[in-house]
Amino acid sequence: MKTREIIERTCKDEGAEHRDKAAEIAAAIRKRSAVAELVSEEEILSLLRAAWHETGEDIAAILIQLIEENKDLYKLSGAGSQFFYSTIHMTETYATILLNKMDGPMRLIAETVRQNAHVYQRPVLLDIFTKPPFDLTHDQVLEYLKTMAATESYDDIKAASTSASGIYLYSTTHLETEYAVMLAEWLDVGQSDNP
Amino acid sequence: MRRSGGWSGKILRVDLSTGRIWTENTVERYKDYLGGTGIGYKIIWDEVPAGTRPYDPENRIIFAVGPLAGTGAPSSGRTAITSLWPTCWPVPLVASGHMGGQFAAELKYAGYDAVVIQGKADHPVWLMIADQKVEIHDARRIWGRGIRDATYAITEIMGQDTTVAAIGQAGENLVPMSVVVNAVSHSAGGVGSVMGSKNLKAIGIRGTGSVRIAGKKEDWEKLIKYHLSLLGANNQHVVPNSPQPWAEFYDPNSRWNAAKGRRWGAAAHPVDTGTCDPHDTNRIAYRSNTAAYFLGDIAWKHTVRGNGCTSCPIRCHTILSVPAVTAKYGIPSVGHDTCVGLVFGRSFFKELPDGPKGMTGMEACMVGKHLADDLGVWCNYGQLQRDFIKLYYDGVIEKKLGSREFKRYSWSKYEKGDPAFLFELLPRIAMKEGELGTVLGLGTGYILERWSLSEQQWEKDKDLQYWKLGHPKHHASEEAGQCGMLINLMYNRDAQCHAHTNFIRNGLPLPLQKKLAAGIWGAPEAVDGVGDYKPMHRAKARMAKWSLLRKELHDSLSLCGWMGPWVASPLKERGYRGDNSIESMLYRLATGDNKDREELDKVAERIFLLHRALTIRGMGTKEMRVHHDKIPEWVYTDKSGKPPFTKGTTRLDRNDVQVALDMFYDELGWDKATGAPTARAYQKSGLDNVADTLSKQNLVPA
Repeated sequence: MKTREIIERTCKDEGAEHRDKAAEIAAAIRKRSAVAELVSEEEILSLLRAAWHETGEDIAAILIQLIEENKDLYKLSGAGSQFFYSTIHMTETYATILLNKMDGPMRLIAETVRQNAHVYQRPVLLDIFTKPPFDLTHDQVLEYLKTMAATESYDDIKAASTSASGIYLYSTTHLETEYAVMLAEWLDVGQSDNP
Repeated sequence: MRRSGGWSGKILRVDLSTGRIWTENTVERYKDYLGGTGIGYKIIWDEVPAGTRPYDPENRIIFAVGPLAGTGAPSSGRTAITSLWPTCWPVPLVASGHMGGQFAAELKYAGYDAVVIQGKADHPVWLMIADQKVEIHDARRIWGRGIRDATYAITEIMGQDTTVAAIGQAGENLVPMSVVVNAVSHSAGGVGSVMGSKNLKAIGIRGTGSVRIAGKKEDWEKLIKYHLSLLGANNQHVVPNSPQPWAEFYDPNSRWNAAKGRRWGAAAHPVDTGTCDPHDTNRIAYRSNTAAYFLGDIAWKHTVRGNGCTSCPIRCHTILSVPAVTAKYGIPSVGHDTCVGLVFGRSFFKELPDGPKGMTGMEACMVGKHLADDLGVWCNYGQLQRDFIKLYYDGVIEKKLGSREFKRYSWSKYEKGDPAFLFELLPRIAMKEGELGTVLGLGTGYILERWSLSEQQWEKDKDLQYWKLGHPKHHASEEAGQCGMLINLMYNRDAQCHAHTNFIRNGLPLPLQKKLAAGIWGAPEAVDGVGDYKPMHRAKARMAKWSLLRKELHDSLSLCGWMGPWVASPLKERGYRGDNSIESMLYRLATGDNKDREELDKVAERIFLLHRALTIRGMGTKEMRVHHDKIPEWVYTDKSGKPPFTKGTTRLDRNDVQVALDMFYDELGWDKATGAPTARAYQKSGLDNVADTLSKQNLVPA
């Protein structure tokens, strides 16, 4: 169910206070998070305007209340906007992937590779991008990687091949090449040879 | 002690030479050793003199379970089988094999904590255990037949609820590389031929009793729910292998591979495994598809469901349906197995036409597992296949066989990765047919000896994964640095210890692992990143000791050492902490014996010490550091010449290894110079008689 429907269904009192409106929006965000979707600020604003005919200052106040009074709601910035999600149903990790996805496949690939190298100290198998929530095809990833290789902002993203022909991606910002190559072999071949 | 529970109370003894059948009281005689390997080691110590050979009638084969078997505790379906080990080289020493399936619970329901077999029947027999009715039956009708046939034949006699543990032709023919299998696919390696040497084809068990829980029912149910809440996936991996909305962390190599859209495609109605939030403990069984983990995404559409051991929610024996193999190879289209048992057939091939995770690989797995589980051939944690590849591609097989026998095999078929080749090879191993069939069934050490090959050559080759005494490593230095190295020194076969690796591979980021490690082993230095090893630290010695004690504890309680321990969990709200006391909590409530974690760990230490004492007695030397705790040369090497303690190498440093040994022996209270337990160490564990016996033979350090 989309946020508009949820709000329209729940907004029966034209004179509801900001607090009520914030609560209703919060409920809508939680429902969207439960189905693994982010809610953009624009979406909320347009719905506030449509459902309650709110304007300018009131909207800003409602948004502030929204975050202040609902400790499970978080805001992420990216893809030219701000996005809301509820940690009851979604972690920052997952929300960030969805955000990066909206920023385009190259940014999605790069940020995921960087995050893996930074947080886990590991390269990632190219194939993970062919599965949810990334949903790219193998050929698409290879194509984007070609473009990325010629793009300065992605010059830290490198690939390593394993003896089992696996292609692993890593960020030189967080992982030395020799270490990344060794880890790729361990992850692709070593672990399955040592179950 | 409150009212007692857990143990059935009796140990069943069978002398096949005389036909005598009797029972002993478990709690009176063996409570200090819990069950499983504890009972096994104790019986070997008390009853099997040094110098006994594995196939001597005087050797015992002990099928023992623990006080948690049959209680319904999660992952409590393991049976430990202890004996003198036929593939341990150059001298057979004590070791244990472990099988899941239904045998452990059924044994308890029949009223026994162990079955101990001694002697040798004068003709093939099988043992019927139907509660108190225990009989030795003629097995000549099923001798020479595969495990599947034997299982069905005994089930026909005893009824559908029977659990049968049987050997195949390999065990009958005294092939050292042989297994015993229960519930058709749950095998324990290495002991098939010991059963065969006693002319024992199978044990059929039907139990109609139950296991008493000493504690209150509501407390037990609460504890089980708590334990379930800490469970991750197969091998206690606690994060999913792909990003999930609920997950803060993920690890593409995790065995938690459920996800929305990943379906058991061969189920009557395909089942979506879903997101599997860890708080939904009713969906634990959906978390792992081990076939997909090992065989790749192609396995999903062939998956019927998970299968596994009594009261284990993990279900790591994925049931696969591959209709093509029936027409192509004449084998059943459905099969289930896990880990090295699942990839048994595929592992023989260096090359497969469509890669290791293609359809041919899956067919090779189906062929291999059906043949191995029916003939009862053991792989020795994949060493059989690694040896075979090495011997073939180095030209040793051709050289040793002579052209006549060599030409009997379709080597072109083998090189092309045709699974049909396995029909030429595996039955010959089971039947000891020809030189190659005979040699491959001996186990690595005896292969080297028979063909005059150097053990040093095997010790240098990292890819062979050979460790010592004719056996491979099992999660050693390559993934767990000094801790893994130390663990692999201790046993007389591959170590089979997962306590350390289940923690290291749990999928949590290293800083978080270090935080948990500090709480368990006293310092974050207990764990390093793989290939980023730091010099030895006391916490690593503590982690190694803890891992070994947890292994013995699990093997003695019947908990699965592949699934636990549960010191990390998937629960963010707990900071991903598990509970280091789960074992003792279960033990206390089940048995009524109020031992806490530390006290129970002391029992585990006693069991582990007894294993060490048996090894010292068997080898006839206390110089364990030099003669037993040997480290293969590959541990000190790196293909690119990287020095130890640099990022990107698993190479260990020779001096640091000596420091590690010192710290480890010290942690155990053993003598650093010899690596043997001191008299005081034995006495502290209540093993004064062991110390006395060994002292008289000058096998205890001064």
